[in-house]
Amino acid sequence: MKLGVSFVTAAMMLAGSAAFAAEKTLDIGVSDALTGGAAVYGLPQANAVKMAADEINAKGGIKVGEDSYKLNVIAYDDQANPTEATNAVRKLIDRDGVKFILGFCCSGATGAVASFIANEDAVMLVGNAAERSITTREIPNLVRTRPPADYTGAAAGTFVAQKGHKKVAVLGALDVGFYASYVDAFEKELNKAGGEIITRESFGLKDRDMTPQLTKIRELNPDAILVVGYVEPAAFIYRQATELGIDVPRYGFTSGSEEQFLRVATSEQMEGVWDLRPTELTLLSASENGKAYHANYTAKYGIAPSPSSPYAYDQTYALKHALEAAGTVEDTAAVAAALRELPVPEEVVMQYLPVGGKMFDVNGQAYTSNGAFQWQGGNWVFVQDLPSDAEAYSKFLSTID
Amino acid sequence: MLNIRDLKVSYGPIEVIHGISLDVNEGECVALIGANGAGKSSTLKAICGLVPVSGGKVTFEGRDITNLSGHAVVKAGITMCPEGRQVFPQMSTLKNLRMGAYTRNDDEQDADLERMMGMFPILRERAHQAAGTLSGGEQEMLAIARALMARPKLCIFDEPSLGLAPKIVADVAATIARIKETGMTILLVEQNSLMALRLADRAYLFEAGEIVLSGTGEELQSHPEVVKAYLGH
Amino acid sequence: MIEILQQIVNGLAIGGVYVLIALGLTTVFGILGIAHFAHGSVSMFGGYLTFFLVASLGFPLLLAILVALLIGLVLGVLIEWLAYRPVRNASHINAFIVALGLTMMVEGLNLEFFGHEQVVIPTNLSRIFDIGGVTIPELRLYVIMAAALLIVAMTLFVEKTKTGQAIRAVAENRDAAILMGVNVKTIPMIVFSISTALGVCAGVMVGSLFAIAPGIGQWLVVKGFAVLILGGLGSIPGAIVGGLVLGVTEALAAGFISSAYKDVIAFVVMIAVLLLRPQGLMGKS
Repeated sequence: MKLGVSFVTAAMMLAGSAAFAAEKTLDIGVSDALTGGAAVYGLPQANAVKMAADEINAKGGIKVGEDSYKLNVIAYDDQANPTEATNAVRKLIDRDGVKFILGFCCSGATGAVASFIANEDAVMLVGNAAERSITTREIPNLVRTRPPADYTGAAAGTFVAQKGHKKVAVLGALDVGFYASYVDAFEKELNKAGGEIITRESFGLKDRDMTPQLTKIRELNPDAILVVGYVEPAAFIYRQATELGIDVPRYGFTSGSEEQFLRVATSEQMEGVWDLRPTELTLLSASENGKAYHANYTAKYGIAPSPSSPYAYDQTYALKHALEAAGTVEDTAAVAAALRELPVPEEVVMQYLPVGGKMFDVNGQAYTSNGAFQWQGGNWVFVQDLPSDAEAYSKFLSTID
Repeated sequence: MLNIRDLKVSYGPIEVIHGISLDVNEGECVALIGANGAGKSSTLKAICGLVPVSGGKVTFEGRDITNLSGHAVVKAGITMCPEGRQVFPQMSTLKNLRMGAYTRNDDEQDADLERMMGMFPILRERAHQAAGTLSGGEQEMLAIARALMARPKLCIFDEPSLGLAPKIVADVAATIARIKETGMTILLVEQNSLMALRLADRAYLFEAGEIVLSGTGEELQSHPEVVKAYLGH
Repeated sequence: MIEILQQIVNGLAIGGVYVLIALGLTTVFGILGIAHFAHGSVSMFGGYLTFFLVASLGFPLLLAILVALLIGLVLGVLIEWLAYRPVRNASHINAFIVALGLTMMVEGLNLEFFGHEQVVIPTNLSRIFDIGGVTIPELRLYVIMAAALLIVAMTLFVEKTKTGQAIRAVAENRDAAILMGVNVKTIPMIVFSISTALGVCAGVMVGSLFAIAPGIGQWLVVKGFAVLILGGLGSIPGAIVGGLVLGVTEALAAGFISSAYKDVIAFVVMIAVLLLRPQGLMGKS
């Protein structure tokens, strides 16, 4: 083995490399839903981490002190299942010796890992999982790039109230905690403006026939409907709503790509639908970073990236800068502390609203802007920012246990 | 017509039929009598392909049918009217009868159906009733008629009187006698030995998996051992 | 009134799918006494296959369905022959384990070949009919009609053909069926063949009207067994009535009581029926 290393070193010297420091490898882990229903969110996240790692490696890796590290990504499938996620993370920490774990698209699995990660010699970076409680306990070695659902829900409620709607019918995956909290925050803002939610209808993850709920909603004559849930069932709701002749404005919180919706509904059936969500990746709203991300991802994987996948891409760059700032790949407490002090790195894709000049607040929570997107002629079009207040929400988050 | 030579039947390691030989000639009515567990029903099941033959040979019309599967035995021309009636309980009487003609492809099935209804008027009355709701005697008639619907060359009756009221037993005996008069070859297994021996041209007495006695029905009716052990005078 | 009618129409489509799944399960159960858990996953395979033929190979929809149906017929024979026949004479727990293993295998194959994202069979049917205030999308109407046609065809097959009667006979009394000359080795093959073909049809309906995705097959098979118990195990009329009752009950429960508890309500109705008729709606005591 030693012989091998010196051969490499010798070869590098012969090639004229000036690097005397040894080229090392740093394993980073990903636990995410690579199969199953949640893989629409998880797989693109895992891909995004790999793409970011490849980019970092191509530019010489991560420089920690004298050394420079190439990243090696070890990804395990947690199927968005709490048990599988716990197993995956245990395997990463105990067997693979990984100290930095990324990914985490879904709240159930993420919550399970978050419950024990404080006791581990590791740093956890959460992506798309939106359940608020993940960052309410101020776990020192956990940060999250996606804002909690109710942060967005409040902004959405203000927006819909400003549109003048009074009677809003909700159809959502309300047995999922963060969707329910989105609706709660939405309702609070709507009520302030004199509006009300006239019914809360629910559907299950595997339901694809929402006509019974929509028929009931049709009878109630709402001013608008609000659809919160995973993209796959949500697409059916939009389609079946038009099939039942419901022609009131449709608002939603789904974060699906054009492609995902068009698989289920026609562009005509989607026309005019609003999506009120964190300003994630859409070509029209994207920065230069976003456009490059979209192009590189599409070239690398042969498919367009999901709008939420940059949460994981940004994790990787946040980790890179934190490692370099901490000057260690061993001391996880130092790296975790460096993450909390980090300004928003220039490579990130999402548009973060820094709190006190930092990417993550004391809770380890990052905030993006929220946007109102509307389906127009086959595409999600960014119409305007939603009235979001990151500083205020950060203070509110700190008050919750 | 049916010739059995040295037939052996085993259930697992236990041999229950120890090499029996018997013959049924065309147009004959042959009875197998003996106590419960003597091996009569096992012999029938072996002929019909419901249990495997472990030794010996069964030939029907000169053709070896040893260990042929059940449905192939039926196609060869042997139909059994099973012990306990075994009608299809949720199917109507009519559909039970039609099942009897399952292997036939000719166009005389409707005519035969009419014939059976004529022979057993009660079946006409019950034609659209689920067979499971019929009385025991009616079910026996149905089972017999169903067996005849196959137009078998050899018709086997396994314990046709079992569990029936005495008056019905007489009806069943009369029915079998009528079938015999039509020239049907019959193999009859019956614990009611008197009834069997009165109907049969010839009979075999089974004891513990072997044939211990054979002769005409009349001979056996008057044989002292049979009289003592089975006829109960 | 219109709302009730609309909800009944809403429930008929999924009810029809339940019936087709339950018909396959109930005939298999009747003949072999086994719970064929893999049925849902096999149905989804049929839907995936149709999607693949249409979307990737450019087959016209009807031709694709026909091809998938024929493959379903063959697949059914293979399932009986390779998976269930070897355990035919073993205790029921063996068939049970085979069924679970087969489910995992088919689910795995579906995932491997067709991926994890939901798949919708493209039909281009987007007209919507309005009959006195009750709206029915064209596709939904065709699904209901096709399900009705298949149910009638299956009933006629079982009641009017010799093979159909033999299937019933084997279910009611296997030994007596042998004595009638029924080949009890080929009947299970025929039953699996027809069941799988009906399952493929259900898969196509789910895949075109709704979507196929990992897990949908198991969800459907659970509903199928609920229908079986509701209608009476092994009973064909029971599967038909039970499937429609479950589908419409779910729709009415979601529309008039609570969408969050629609499955709970449907199962409560089921339990209530079983308390009054333990043998199921159409089962014989």
